[in-house]
Amino acid sequence: MLKVKNLHASVGDKEILKGLDIEVKAGEIHAVMGPNGSGKSTLSSVLAGRDEYEVTAGEVDYLGKELLELNPEERSWEGIFLAFQYPVEIPGVSNINFLKTAINERRKYFEQEPIAAKDFLKMVKEKSTLVELSDKLKNRSVNVGFSGGEKKRNEIFQMAMLEPKLSILDETDSGLDIDALRIVAHGVNTLKSKHNATILITHYQRLLDYIIPDFVHVLYDGRIIKTGGKELALELEEKGYDWLTKAKA
Amino acid sequence: MVVLKENNLLNSLSQMGVGLGAKNQAFELLKGLEFPTRKTEDWRYTSVKRILKKKYVQFNEADQVDLSNEIAPSLDAHNIILVNGVYSKELSDVNFPDEVLVDTFPNAMEEHVSLIHSTFNGIAKNNEEVFTALNTSYFHEGVFIHIPKKVKLEKPIHVIHVNTKSNVISNLRLLIVVDQFSEVSVVQSYASLNAIECLTNSVTEVFVKENAKVTLDKVQYEEPNNNLICTVQVDQKANSIFKINTATISGDFVRNGVNIDVDGENCTSEMNGLYMQKGIQHVDNHTKVSHLKPNCTSFELYKGVLRDKSTGVFNGKVIVAEDAQKIEAYQQNKNIILSREATMNAKPELEIFADDVKCSHGTTTGQFDEEALYYLQTRGLSKESAQALLMQAFADEVLDKVDSEVLRIWIKEKLG
Repeated sequence: MLKVKNLHASVGDKEILKGLDIEVKAGEIHAVMGPNGSGKSTLSSVLAGRDEYEVTAGEVDYLGKELLELNPEERSWEGIFLAFQYPVEIPGVSNINFLKTAINERRKYFEQEPIAAKDFLKMVKEKSTLVELSDKLKNRSVNVGFSGGEKKRNEIFQMAMLEPKLSILDETDSGLDIDALRIVAHGVNTLKSKHNATILITHYQRLLDYIIPDFVHVLYDGRIIKTGGKELALELEEKGYDWLTKAKA
Repeated sequence: MVVLKENNLLNSLSQMGVGLGAKNQAFELLKGLEFPTRKTEDWRYTSVKRILKKKYVQFNEADQVDLSNEIAPSLDAHNIILVNGVYSKELSDVNFPDEVLVDTFPNAMEEHVSLIHSTFNGIAKNNEEVFTALNTSYFHEGVFIHIPKKVKLEKPIHVIHVNTKSNVISNLRLLIVVDQFSEVSVVQSYASLNAIECLTNSVTEVFVKENAKVTLDKVQYEEPNNNLICTVQVDQKANSIFKINTATISGDFVRNGVNIDVDGENCTSEMNGLYMQKGIQHVDNHTKVSHLKPNCTSFELYKGVLRDKSTGVFNGKVIVAEDAQKIEAYQQNKNIILSREATMNAKPELEIFADDVKCSHGTTTGQFDEEALYYLQTRGLSKESAQALLMQAFADEVLDKVDSEVLRIWIKEKLG
């Protein structure tokens, strides 16, 4: 599904990704772990198409398309979803209305008719139940007045509504209490199928107790320095990153 | 420096007899007045040159207008229609309930001469404000609205001004007197039908008596190339509520002045404005609220979007008199600039002479929130629709202040 080869990316004149490789197949869950400043958020931003990041070398193949050629909305229409580490508050834009617009723009892209109001409402009901998002929150302005946990649940709700092929969850576990973490994990696990894939970007092993990855990658200084199975995460939890980064240095 | 009598603007005007002393006084006064220049503090960022160099024609009889054209929002209202500045009895609603009076000054004088004499030009008498003096001297028959005590008028009064000929100059005068414990909503629409290069100089005086409630919605949507000067003077007595919403949708040159004297305790005053500019449009909003008595609250929210080479001015003054303690006054002005060539001049001014007050003001001018745009794009909104959505959200904060849903939707559609 996703093949990242020798990816280099910078912000300003600072190079952050320095030759990153990763391959993700349908049906898989990948965890990308690493210490602060290793390039985790840059990876998610580059994949989602954020402007400030300049890709200086490498290529990203997504379902046979040059991902880096697409703008953020086209990536979304093609099935990429980024759950933000810090979801943005947008006063005056209703959560539900903007999702309806988003779904219809994608349908337009695929030359489909707009979604029927009845189907949309049914979908909202079903998907919001999944992450226990109340009616009140659904109809409010996007993320305005939401608690940290509610914002993250809202991200997973949007993910459920948009039915992505490749979801990138950027530090979705940060700032979550154990109940919220369980709800979020339940959402992600329920949405998992053999047709979609997930990249979990995280600091801690904690999330991986609830969402079991097929692969764990360690990102350090802009490169993947080690890849293993789910047991690698446990090892990192126990030993920290030092034994890997020192070996590398 | 342009002395009035040397300007061709005056040559295009003729005085109509209404039999009001104030009219003659203003006429005398005008001879010595000058048009403002950039050196005039209140006109620093607004040049009147572009409206003075044109030639205008004054109409003294109401023209026909084809009302099948959508000239105004279709409110369920008492419609008062002025064509090219002249009241049209034929087109206007003349039946009002509960002794409510709505008529021209000459007609209203028959019954209400003392009321008119005691109110007319009572708060608009700003001897130095040339456009007000011009209006007082030259307005045609004007419209007088009187709501007697303890009357709540269910339907709004919709004063529709429409220009149907090009180069028309009209001095519109509206006097609204709302007596104790009464309630009314007035909408003033400024329209044009295939008319360009007009100058409309509108003055509205509002007397809000004790425990009365008045809402004034102004909708300005004349076609491009038209010029509009709107002055609103308000006098509020104790326990009264006054709210004004101004939506500037189009027009080449628009200057709005709102002055509220809060002359009684426990009053609430609210001023809101929305302007969406493009081309070479210039919109200037000057507001002044004078808190003369204690225990009152005022709210102000003006927001605008500037495109192309448009220019905007916001000047909001809050004055709290020495003995006016326990005043709460909140003012905000927010602007989005979508072009490098657009300019906004924003100036909040607080003059506080009392010591126990709560006042705040803030002004922001910037572009779209890039974070929000990116977030919406990652959800599959094209940049254009993400911008449209953010724009709508920006405008909605002001539009939500408009009580009438019909009017709100109408303004939204006009804004596109």
